[in-house]
Amino acid sequence: MKHEIVGNPDYGQLQVRLDPGDRFIAEGGSMAWMGSGIQSKARMLGGVGKALFRKVTGGESLFVGEYFTDRGGEVAFSPAQPGTVMRRTLDGDSFMLTAGAFMACTPGIELGTKFGGARSIFSGEGLFLIQCSGSGELFFNSYGAILEKQVDGSFIVDTSHVVAWEPSLSYSIQGMGGLKSTLLSGEGLVMKFSGSGAIYLQTRTMPGLASWLTPFAK
Amino acid sequence: MQVEIADNGAFGSALVHLRPGEEFISEGGSMFRASSNVDIDVTTRTRGSGGIMSGIKRMIGGEHFFFSRYSITDGQDAQVGLAPKLQGQVALIECDGMTRWLCAGGSYLGSGPDLGIDTQFQGLRGALSGESLFFLAVEGAGPLIVNAFGHITPLDVQGEITIDTGHVVAFQESLEYSIGKAGGSWVSSVLTSEGLVMHFSGHGRVYVQSHNPSEFGKTLGPLLPKRN
Repeated sequence: MKHEIVGNPDYGQLQVRLDPGDRFIAEGGSMAWMGSGIQSKARMLGGVGKALFRKVTGGESLFVGEYFTDRGGEVAFSPAQPGTVMRRTLDGDSFMLTAGAFMACTPGIELGTKFGGARSIFSGEGLFLIQCSGSGELFFNSYGAILEKQVDGSFIVDTSHVVAWEPSLSYSIQGMGGLKSTLLSGEGLVMKFSGSGAIYLQTRTMPGLASWLTPFAK
Repeated sequence: MQVEIADNGAFGSALVHLRPGEEFISEGGSMFRASSNVDIDVTTRTRGSGGIMSGIKRMIGGEHFFFSRYSITDGQDAQVGLAPKLQGQVALIECDGMTRWLCAGGSYLGSGPDLGIDTQFQGLRGALSGESLFFLAVEGAGPLIVNAFGHITPLDVQGEITIDTGHVVAFQESLEYSIGKAGGSWVSSVLTSEGLVMHFSGHGRVYVQSHNPSEFGKTLGPLLPKRN
């Protein structure tokens, strides 16, 4: 199997070349084009219960597409939003994604949903997290470009800008300043990370775009 | 006549340089700059064919009722800048007059005056899929400007390829194509929400866009307030 990410940072797309016997998993609806040697079927990742939980809480499709081939071929995947596609290799370790950031993976990766804590309910940003573990290649995407930030100590990020982070970091969700500035500053809730590890941030947010578009809705 | 593609990337546009006596056609509403000696006229006709019916067909296909036609008023050189609505790249296709091009509804930005443009409906399946399966058939020789949601990749097909209908920008009619399902079965196709795809075979060029406007709309839609 070979993969290539093209079009970053504005319009990342993942192109995968599958050899006979290879399997690949991608979010439902993300296939852009494929050669005639590729076959696909719908699958619930991790069984009905896990898939349903991920759908309700994590905002991901209930079904994923599984792609396979018996004579080899190419297939390309595009996220719904314009932005960057990134790869993360897992080797028995794990990686955290925010809801909606999952794009594709090789079959050795397991996806589990984690609840972001009671406070996240009130943030309006539905902070459910996807914990990725196992071994293989994981692909995730953003809206806008992705910045990688090495945290050593502590670091504060607006919740809607967080895409992914390494689990060596711990985090808490809190308001920005006092209650008054949390409600009135328009910043909403922030995540405070501490420890050391990498965090991946997106330069734009979909709720931000939606609120810009709202006055135009008829 | 010379077409320059400017600022390609997230926000591409086209700058058309016209010599005295030359004209250019574009999708209605896409001009964002012009030199002061340019006159704009609206028309439903391109070379040879057109009329009110073709305007109506164009509207159903997701384009404007009218084309804009640009001409020069004073015998000097002129420039017209064209920009699409969606963010993404703009590409120039030089039509050689030998093979017709089919351009997806919504992907057409502009064309030289010697190109004839007609709207084609791709059958009932297209209507059922919820994705507008209308194509503009482009005939003749001259420059054709297309726009995409995302970046544009040309694929030279030799053999077979399957493309999601939402990612097709334009293709040469020398290719054979059929509209069908993505997965092994209709059930699988619906469950993975892949919808309809186009199966291409033969020899020819297809331009694909990296992102699917209706998928983006489906993601963004739930974040917008309800219509009243």
